[in-house]
Amino acid sequence: MNRGTADEVLQQLAQVCRGLDRRRQHVPSGLTALDAALPGGGWPSASIVELLPACHGIGELRLLLPALAHITRSERHVALIAPPYIPFAPALLQHGLKLTQLWVIAATSATDALWSAEQLLRCKSFGMVVAWPTQVHDRAVRRLQLAAEAGDSTGFIYRPPSAARDASPAAIRLQLQAHEGALRIKVLKCRGGRSGALITTPIGTGSLQSSDAAVTSPASSIPAAIAGCAE
Amino acid sequence: MLWLCICLTLLPLEALQPRTVTKPTVATRRKGNAQWIVCCNSSATQAGLRPGMNLATALAAVPGVQALESSDSAQHAALTRLAAWAYQFSSSVIITPAASSSDDPQPALWLEIGASLRLFGGLQPLLERFEAALEPLDYSHRLGIAPTLEGALALARAGIRRATTSAAALRSRLAQLPLQCLQLPAAASQQLLTVGVETAGELLQLPPADLARRFGPELCDYLDRLTGRRPDPRPVYQLPPRYQARFEFDSPVMNVDGIAFVLRRLLHEFVGFLRARDTGTQSFTLTLQHRDKPHTDVCVRMSAPQRNFEQFLLLTREHLERTQPRAGIVAIELSADRFATPSAMNNDLLAGTAEHRETFNHTLERLAARLGEQCVHGLRALADHRPEASWGPEHERRSMATPSFPSRPPWLLPAPEPLPTATLPALISAPERIAAGWWDSADVQRDYFLARTHSGALWWIFQDRRDGSWHLHGLWS
Repeated sequence: MNRGTADEVLQQLAQVCRGLDRRRQHVPSGLTALDAALPGGGWPSASIVELLPACHGIGELRLLLPALAHITRSERHVALIAPPYIPFAPALLQHGLKLTQLWVIAATSATDALWSAEQLLRCKSFGMVVAWPTQVHDRAVRRLQLAAEAGDSTGFIYRPPSAARDASPAAIRLQLQAHEGALRIKVLKCRGGRSGALITTPIGTGSLQSSDAAVTSPASSIPAAIAGCAE
Repeated sequence: MLWLCICLTLLPLEALQPRTVTKPTVATRRKGNAQWIVCCNSSATQAGLRPGMNLATALAAVPGVQALESSDSAQHAALTRLAAWAYQFSSSVIITPAASSSDDPQPALWLEIGASLRLFGGLQPLLERFEAALEPLDYSHRLGIAPTLEGALALARAGIRRATTSAAALRSRLAQLPLQCLQLPAAASQQLLTVGVETAGELLQLPPADLARRFGPELCDYLDRLTGRRPDPRPVYQLPPRYQARFEFDSPVMNVDGIAFVLRRLLHEFVGFLRARDTGTQSFTLTLQHRDKPHTDVCVRMSAPQRNFEQFLLLTREHLERTQPRAGIVAIELSADRFATPSAMNNDLLAGTAEHRETFNHTLERLAARLGEQCVHGLRALADHRPEASWGPEHERRSMATPSFPSRPPWLLPAPEPLPTATLPALISAPERIAAGWWDSADVQRDYFLARTHSGALWWIFQDRRDGSWHLHGLWS
């Protein structure tokens, strides 16, 4: 097989992967630049998304709030499992969340947190489940992935920045860092899309501003997409 | 009248332990120094043990045999629970009265099914439904159907399942049965055998006057009730307004695994009771009783009234996994006294998203059962200027007023964390003064600022105006 046909095959494969992805529902993240980097234009349902923030307080939760607000307004439920601090109701209201559709699960151990996440993801009434387990293994993420597929929901898992080194079965992995007053989102992995994209947005105190966001595309696009599909 | 008799062949044993025990086990009864076998499980029967055998003889023949002393109260409790369960099939349920000390009546349960036949679409569908429901309760049993109570029992003991609907047919069926299938006093039965009467048919042909003179009027009375010549009125079981079921162990059980079979049985019977009353429940209590210690109460609550065995079992298991029994468990009691009106349950089922709603409730119940009820909650915002008083956990879902606030961080610390003044992060906003709470002695006098740490995080910090100290109170996550 010569080089040209191999590229064609890879391109077709990438298209197939994107095609598969179209069956999922996508909820816009509220950040235009990020939506552009995610296949389908938002957070995909039936998927697990890993978020690896460098520290607390850099907009790592506000990144999800527009989508969570969307879910609570569409009469599905949202659960926050083992949050590291108190999810502050007045702030959540300011971000448009409907509190009657929001649940906080105070699980203390990682096992309980992951178990709760699995139960809730599996339940079709929950559209998004956000968890802060103290420890996550590959196998646990795979279980959550199956649960998310069963419940057609999206699971967000916060992990320490050191987890970036390990491979993970999650569909999307984002590294979050503060850089000169801005939140820098690096797409470590994106199934059916491009990995390597870098999105920056000012942190501020309100919603993350999508208008000011900038996106830097990686140099090589197709191989990255295939790498995302193949995993 | 058509009676369905459930003859519980091994109840003295199975009231104490599950049917699945494979070790040779016998139930015994004691009188003075004598102790004899009243029933054997299948492996004990295979080993050659028989009811009536002296326990000492049995132990000599099969050294490994386990002997449990049969408990009248445990058997009666089991029968009472079964009666409540069986009420879903018939409103006339009769059970064998508690055993008298003199002889052992065969434990049995009767249901009047003549009136229920139309409801269930005939005898065969009724029997199928009945046996499918009885199976998980884990009792060895035989069924018999006849127009009289004693007739149904005799047929059940003989293992004749075919329904006998008329008195004439009953007489001809009974004629074939050996004497052992009848409820005769042991002495009378022995005497009859010695004079050559071996079947019920032969016994029924003897002149009643002679029988009465020889064996007393009780025997004739029994035969008249058997064949239906004389009515057989007995007290009908009444459903109690409050459900209470009890299971006693013959020896203390040390771990939660050991009560699994009891749990299944108790919950199946409870669900049967709820079905019989056509109702559901939102909570029930499981009481683990210990010998010298106070009871352990496990209260299982649900978000909506229901009667789903799987869900009950799941929730109870989750609760028990978190419960460390204080000591060996000698008895378990399941009680419930608040039942929801069926109309509420039906309405829920008619709603379009009923299925979703149910799994949603079940999921949250499961979480609350495992993690604790206080660990699963919603959130609400409260109209109070003090940040710590402007939110609260919400355990009941209801729509609420939404107070408005200046911009607030998504994370709040459970308690303000003191910050050393030397390492204060850079303040990047004008202060927001919050002075409130003098009315409830949780007075705050604070200036809140936005601060940026060297790692780029946004903090919500305040200076206490009374002592000048700095605190971290929130994060702009």
